[in-house]
Amino acid sequence: MGKDSDFLGRDIVSIRDFKRDQLEHLFQKVEDLEKSSHSLDGALKGRLAALLFFEPSTRTHSSFQIAASTLGMQVTGFASPAGSSVSKGETLHDTIRMFEGYGADCFVIRHPKPGAATFAAETTDRPVINAGDGSREHPTQAMIDLFAIRKAFGRLDGLKVGILGDLKYGRTASSLAYSLSNYEVEMTFIAPDALQMRPEVQHFLKQRGIVSKSERDLRNVVGNLDVLYVTRIQKERIPDPTEFEKVKGLYQVNLAALKEAKPTLRVLHPLPRVDELAAELDATNYADYFVQAAAGLPLRMVLLNLVLGGGGS
Amino acid sequence: MEEGHTEERMLVRKIEEGTVIDHIPDWKAETVARVLRLDRLAKLQADISVAILQNVSSKSRGRKDIVKIDRWQVDEKDADILSLVFPTITVNYVNDWKVSKYHPKVPDTIEGRIRCAEVQCITNAEREPVVSKFMTLKRDRMLQCAYCDSLLEFDNVPDHVRS
Repeated sequence: MGKDSDFLGRDIVSIRDFKRDQLEHLFQKVEDLEKSSHSLDGALKGRLAALLFFEPSTRTHSSFQIAASTLGMQVTGFASPAGSSVSKGETLHDTIRMFEGYGADCFVIRHPKPGAATFAAETTDRPVINAGDGSREHPTQAMIDLFAIRKAFGRLDGLKVGILGDLKYGRTASSLAYSLSNYEVEMTFIAPDALQMRPEVQHFLKQRGIVSKSERDLRNVVGNLDVLYVTRIQKERIPDPTEFEKVKGLYQVNLAALKEAKPTLRVLHPLPRVDELAAELDATNYADYFVQAAAGLPLRMVLLNLVLGGGGS
Repeated sequence: MEEGHTEERMLVRKIEEGTVIDHIPDWKAETVARVLRLDRLAKLQADISVAILQNVSSKSRGRKDIVKIDRWQVDEKDADILSLVFPTITVNYVNDWKVSKYHPKVPDTIEGRIRCAEVQCITNAEREPVVSKFMTLKRDRMLQCAYCDSLLEFDNVPDHVRS
């Protein structure tokens, strides 16, 4: 069974570092918080969180900021590199060391370079939470995604999950695939060949004995899915603009695309969406993405509290 | 060095001090030179000579290449990296005409000597004080970056050796 101490002082760099029982422990704590929403208020009073976002963020930054504040923490850092010393060329290393000197008790870091979170964790002995490092990973988003799916179905085992869109450059897609490997789940990766899941993710799944399928056309598999996880095509991560033009607009999820879907299908999206997820779905039973987004706050509160050993009930 | 010995002796004399890389697949000596970064030796301005023998007859391989480096000991770690690409090679260190064999082994990790193939990887960032590190996935003949997780096949290592 997972326990609080599994998280204490720990870096949250990759979702692969967490076993099923630890994730389940986390989810149980989030459910507890949802039942008693003020139980962690002020649990980390007097502690300092440094939120260093070397890449602009609205959602992740805001939810960490609100989570930390609700826990009673002071929050410092920046939500985007513009206007910070990073825009003058300061390195990740130096920025961390500086905020360490200011007394940061933990770091929440987003950075455009894959591997930045691992390097950050090596740079400081304070816990580092990876809020997205390039196209590599976004572990707290994967925790939120699993939690949302688990909430919708009451389980994860036995589900058929399709992950659609930009799987090559999308960090949420890879972290979700990694995390689902803890469960008896059938995964289908729906993307054009150029944006299919990266070799290292496929290699990891193969090593764990997970069977996954790759598919180009959503219509071929939509009728079989319990969960459809839609991701945005990340223009800023595609080095070749012509490649972006080719795939833009493909894989749009709307009512027509879901014609053959089971009525119980749940559609998730890490948000923000552009044109890959039609607003006409918002009012349907398929739409689970706003519930998913709302889980971000309690989950990040619980996670910060566990990592920093804040207690609370 | 026992195979193709006569032919080799005709081409290049024995060395007193240095390294002989033997059993290189034929016509691959240039790749060996690249992995060992032999071009660095020119900058040392030392009295080091390199002989590259190509397509020498070999009992076991039919044909092979040999690289002889006079008055220079190849680092064992570089030899280990070389063996990722060419598992058949042997390394002979020569000291005072005496030869001692070194059988390169595939290391569990490799630090600093290879650039990550993912250009965006934090280890390729210009000013960050971070050294590349790879884990070897021996069964799959691949390296995995310890930072960004990207994979690099052993055969592609020569293109990513740091200059």
